[in-house]
Amino acid sequence: MRISHFFLMVVFALIVSVFFSLLWRRERPAQVRLFFQLFLGMVLGGLAIAWLMYPFPQGPPAPIP
Amino acid sequence: MTESEAPAASTPNLGKGTAIAAAVIAWLVPGGGHLYLKRWERGLAFFALVAVSAFLGLKLEGHLYRPVPGEPLATLGTIGQAGAGTVYGVLRYFVHYEGNLRGAGFEYGTAFLLTAGLMNLLLVFDAWDIASGKKD
Repeated sequence: MRISHFFLMVVFALIVSVFFSLLWRRERPAQVRLFFQLFLGMVLGGLAIAWLMYPFPQGPPAPIP
Repeated sequence: MTESEAPAASTPNLGKGTAIAAAVIAWLVPGGGHLYLKRWERGLAFFALVAVSAFLGLKLEGHLYRPVPGEPLATLGTIGQAGAGTVYGVLRYFVHYEGNLRGAGFEYGTAFLLTAGLMNLLLVFDAWDIASGKKD
């Protein structure tokens, strides 16, 4: 499977956002609103944290036991 | 608090036996508790979400936790993933799946497998609440 960090983050955010919008809200408009809040919060929040971490050096890769 | 957040007062309490049955079915089959309580749309959607999460976890060769003496985090991980019920049982005891530590998607796969289990645990509580009349 070809792996893209960003793609996996978006898929993860999608699954979790749909799940909680269905779990916590009953009316469709409220579900849609919560979905976008959660989804955009996770994706944009992840990008913001990645941007803030950009100046920090990566360091050596972790050893594989 | 909006209307959608408020608990539905008109939802009947279906009794302790139904609540226990719904919770057990929900644990065994993702979304099963909601289907048992005739919440068809939500039940099918929850089944699909947990199934997709578990499938991605497997495709990415994520880790399947099991208790390790002296490692409390492994126990916590086991509890989280075992929330997926039948999925966890089949992977651990029938397929003997462990994951692939050297796989490029190992960490992501572990996160997806954990998410599947934790989502299903929440569905167990949700099914219990619906059957108890606390939620719609």
